[in-house]
Amino acid sequence: MIFPEGAAARTDTTDVAGRVYDVVIVGAGISGAIIADRLSREGRSVLLLEAAPADDLTISGYETYLNRFYGTAMKDNQAPYPVLPPVPMPRSTDARPLPPGGGPNTGGYLVQDGPHSTDTTYTRVLGGTTLHWEAKILRMLPEDFELSRRYGQGLPWPLGYDELEPLYREAEREIGVSADIEDQRYLGLHYPPDYVYPMRGLPASFLDQTVAKGIDGTSIRVGDDEEIPIRVRPFPQGRNGIPNPAYDAGRGFTPVGAVSTHQVEEGGRCQGNNNCVPICPVQAKYHAGKTLARTLHRDVDLLAQAVAYKVHTDPENGRVTRIEYRRYQDPQSTAYETGFAQGRTYVLATNAIENARLMLASGLQDRADLIGRNLMDHAYLLTWARLPEVAGTMRGTNCTSGITDLRGGRFRRDRASFSIDIHNDGWGWATGAPVTDLLRIVDQDHQYGFGLRRSLVDQVSTQLLLAHMIEVLPDRDNRVTVDPRYRDELGNMRPVISFKVPDYTMRGAAFARDLSRQLFGKLGAEDHTGYDPAEYGYVEFGGDGYRILGGNHLAGTHVMGTSPATSVVDDHQRSWEHENLYLVGGGSMPTIGTANTTLTSTALCLRTAKHLIQELRRQDRPVTLATIGAR
Amino acid sequence: MILDDFVAFSSEVTGFTEFDLIGTGQAESYLRTVTEVVGERTLADLLDAYRARVTDTGDEQARAGQLTGAVLGDDRLGPIARNIIKLWYSGTWFALPDDWTGRFGAPGREGTFNASPQAYTQGLLWYAIGANPPGARAPGYGSWASPPLIPALPPSPVPQSVRTGS
Amino acid sequence: MTPHTLLAERRLPAEIDTMAELEAYLNAALRLEHATIPPYLTALYSLHPGANSDARHLIRVVAVEEMLHLTLVANVMNAVGLRVDLTADDFVPRYPAHLPSGEIDFLVSVQPFSQAAVTTFLNIERPAKAPNESSRLLPRPDLGAGTVLAASPIDPSRRFYSIGEFYEEIDRGLRHLDHLYRAEGRELFTGDVARQVTAEYFYSGGGEIVVVHDLASALKALELITEQGEGLGGGIYDGEGELSHYYRFQQLQLGHYYQQGDVPGRPSGPPLDVDFTAVYPVAIDAALADYPAGSPVREAAQRFNGTYGDFLAHLTAAYDGEPRKLLEAVPWMFRLRDDIEHLIRNPFPGRPGVHASPVFTRAPEERS
Repeated sequence: MIFPEGAAARTDTTDVAGRVYDVVIVGAGISGAIIADRLSREGRSVLLLEAAPADDLTISGYETYLNRFYGTAMKDNQAPYPVLPPVPMPRSTDARPLPPGGGPNTGGYLVQDGPHSTDTTYTRVLGGTTLHWEAKILRMLPEDFELSRRYGQGLPWPLGYDELEPLYREAEREIGVSADIEDQRYLGLHYPPDYVYPMRGLPASFLDQTVAKGIDGTSIRVGDDEEIPIRVRPFPQGRNGIPNPAYDAGRGFTPVGAVSTHQVEEGGRCQGNNNCVPICPVQAKYHAGKTLARTLHRDVDLLAQAVAYKVHTDPENGRVTRIEYRRYQDPQSTAYETGFAQGRTYVLATNAIENARLMLASGLQDRADLIGRNLMDHAYLLTWARLPEVAGTMRGTNCTSGITDLRGGRFRRDRASFSIDIHNDGWGWATGAPVTDLLRIVDQDHQYGFGLRRSLVDQVSTQLLLAHMIEVLPDRDNRVTVDPRYRDELGNMRPVISFKVPDYTMRGAAFARDLSRQLFGKLGAEDHTGYDPAEYGYVEFGGDGYRILGGNHLAGTHVMGTSPATSVVDDHQRSWEHENLYLVGGGSMPTIGTANTTLTSTALCLRTAKHLIQELRRQDRPVTLATIGAR
Repeated sequence: MILDDFVAFSSEVTGFTEFDLIGTGQAESYLRTVTEVVGERTLADLLDAYRARVTDTGDEQARAGQLTGAVLGDDRLGPIARNIIKLWYSGTWFALPDDWTGRFGAPGREGTFNASPQAYTQGLLWYAIGANPPGARAPGYGSWASPPLIPALPPSPVPQSVRTGS
Repeated sequence: MTPHTLLAERRLPAEIDTMAELEAYLNAALRLEHATIPPYLTALYSLHPGANSDARHLIRVVAVEEMLHLTLVANVMNAVGLRVDLTADDFVPRYPAHLPSGEIDFLVSVQPFSQAAVTTFLNIERPAKAPNESSRLLPRPDLGAGTVLAASPIDPSRRFYSIGEFYEEIDRGLRHLDHLYRAEGRELFTGDVARQVTAEYFYSGGGEIVVVHDLASALKALELITEQGEGLGGGIYDGEGELSHYYRFQQLQLGHYYQQGDVPGRPSGPPLDVDFTAVYPVAIDAALADYPAGSPVREAAQRFNGTYGDFLAHLTAAYDGEPRKLLEAVPWMFRLRDDIEHLIRNPFPGRPGVHASPVFTRAPEERS
């Protein structure tokens, strides 16, 4: 994919001040990029305000990320991306336990007010968190949209699976999803009869196959009157595989590879780098830069290093009049100039935390007091064990398969559903494997030479980690706020996070912990799971301790609904109170089910784009009152 | 030559041949790294102890005993030797324990750091288990579906240069 | 179009008149396509890791596309019912090999990335059309030991004016044979389609595999080979909008990338950097016998040589009825990469300042 040379720098503060765009979008991540793409395709003028620096996307620029990752000893999920004073970002390494009464942890970008301390992150670079995401890309289940009606849980959705289904397909094309359709028909997930994914599914890892041999067909009792058979099932992946010739009624699919200002042929197919998070070295994984590159060939201005500071509105009618931003010249300095961007319509496409933060920092809390509330993120519970035989752990993409049969069921009346990932990177997430294994074997076991090599095979190639991605429901008290005492170096108020893991989720976690004991037993695997009360994320529930980690699947802070009394935006993600403002992305989702949020969020953004196209057309039509009267 | 000695010692403690170690392209860089942290003198002491006292080439157990006695079990040299192993395996130099620096002096460079970006990509840790360092040395589409190809151990734990006296 | 007009347009091949002659030519084409892979891979992996990103990507893409070309020739052979075999003792040429570039020959070496290597790569991919019919096939100068590529497989004393003309001969031969077969009421393309390598089994990054089942698809496959190398009709891109190999390499000399709309010799895209010093000085055209007996490097070179032979045997199986096996070729090539890199970083025993090199050519003592 060719990035138009010079596109990252073809506008500036002065030029922007002199234009009124059809759409001003804050945030050049996947949501912003896709809306910009669809609007510009219709000839609409678009401004993208991006907080991070943005050079033209090139292979060598991308390799700067990669080399930063190679060169650092601390390989957390933000390791490849630059830490810059004007655009701080959350980092898992900033999370700390929050002792009761100890006050908030203000050490990281997120001010954590507790009681739960989350290590959730998002990435503030051009292309956003899709640079670091894993790109496992599930649809929500039909029953996920009806959780409230069917099981009396969560907030109601203003739309359902059937309305989103065509948009899911469109999102799967845009992102380029690899999956075999026959694996993805379960729990009511349905598709048009002839649908296939753009690319064939990625092969299951040898580890997946080992687990499948041991547990496929096991029936799990999930409630008094409910048993569910489980099997290991491949996940749809937002990374390039073998194009399916049957896609698009036999027209096939052309994968989109690496982005650069010159022609490159890289990233057309996954190479199994086992590094989806934090960076795919060959860009076989989708990132929003691929959409941006196409978009910037059109009438789209990208103004980088422009951090949105305030949304200005007309007090009379609530309409947004302009976005005030702070533009820094030097990424190492916090000196800035103030600028303003004007459009006919405005889209906030940062993410669930930053959208809420910006609205609240602008003094724009809605009358129902919902902005920033209902913050959701998947709760991850990890369990880990050692298999009795070498399973070739540490190879493949981060995760190729898992157990998804417990995503739905009547048990959801009482406790959270979850999806289980089999992690091809072993115990890495839980323990820092395999480097921590190396340290133990060398420093404590005093192994060296052949003994060391044998121990590594025995202790690493046998690792199995199950990551339970557990549903979290909206809760008014889980929220993002701002506080003038906490500002970043550019003067923006930082997000203050208050979060408690709901009991509904913890009941799911307790069930998951028990289930993994059963599964490990069937596999003859030795359970090594342990949760340290001294670490952040520790939660006591029902007399047992657990560690709940963040999923970076942020949602809920500007929920959509059917009425301004119960929601912030309508089913087009249009603000009830500011008619030319759209708050888009995960923040609009009333519930998140057990699907990583990006696909649903993207489908919603595609819906918003279609609506905006019509809305702008409607506004362009000459006023025809007189003719109506004459008839 | 100190590089040859360093690689011979590294071969013995990592369990990889000298050819494999040089094949990572990192030998000079690691020698520089170790020298920078512990100083030429200490490293020379370690390599001298290895050359002079680890001499049995017939009996593996006897040799292991010599290696422990001369280097690995030594309060001053042991932690350095273990750090050299970890350096080859992960590309990272791990900070020496506090009690080491307390007794034997401040290191020439503090803390935990990567020898270089490329060092990580050549980590033996992943090579030893038939995997690739995440993000580097890609194995190719679909390779993960097959059992791992775990490389065989060399025919002898004694480095080739020691065996042939070259 | 009547048979008469077809005949009028037909430019006859110089040498291909029978299936056996076509087979000889296609076998020569396999050897020719393969012969470029060892030099490209060696130059590619001689680059210091972390340096020369631009050159690395350029060479890698071309090397992978040479694999595509090899596969395309195999598809043509399978389509006409011929068997593909890459395991013959002399399948891998002896380097330096000879290639024609117009009136003069040049040598293709297995060598580190360098100015000279770039010149060689340009020579390999250079578009060249014979000025007239009679200069398409030229007498072959006596050049000594190395394998002569693009020689006539029928008359070894003659070689083609260029690789382009060599393929032109196959193009004409296929048309000619197809015509002869039809005239006799026979079918030339009788191969089992199940033996064809399809896009599902081979992925090159740029350029799609052509499944061959008739004359038109056979000609298209051959056209892709020459266009990817030389460009289409004098332009810098091939028929699918992909920059041709010749112009890719030329970017290394001219210091800029080409972009859409550019004319040959004047790339107007972003600049690129080349650092000819960030390269391992690998031995040029090393043979196994050059390595001291018993040295670990010799053993490793020998091991690699055997592995490479196994790789060619694996490819042969894939091209001989089991196309699915080609999926494993990619992981295999990545393992070869690791082996080559290990060799290249080791010094050449007894040659100060020189590094070891992979040996692709089968050693004489191992020939049966």
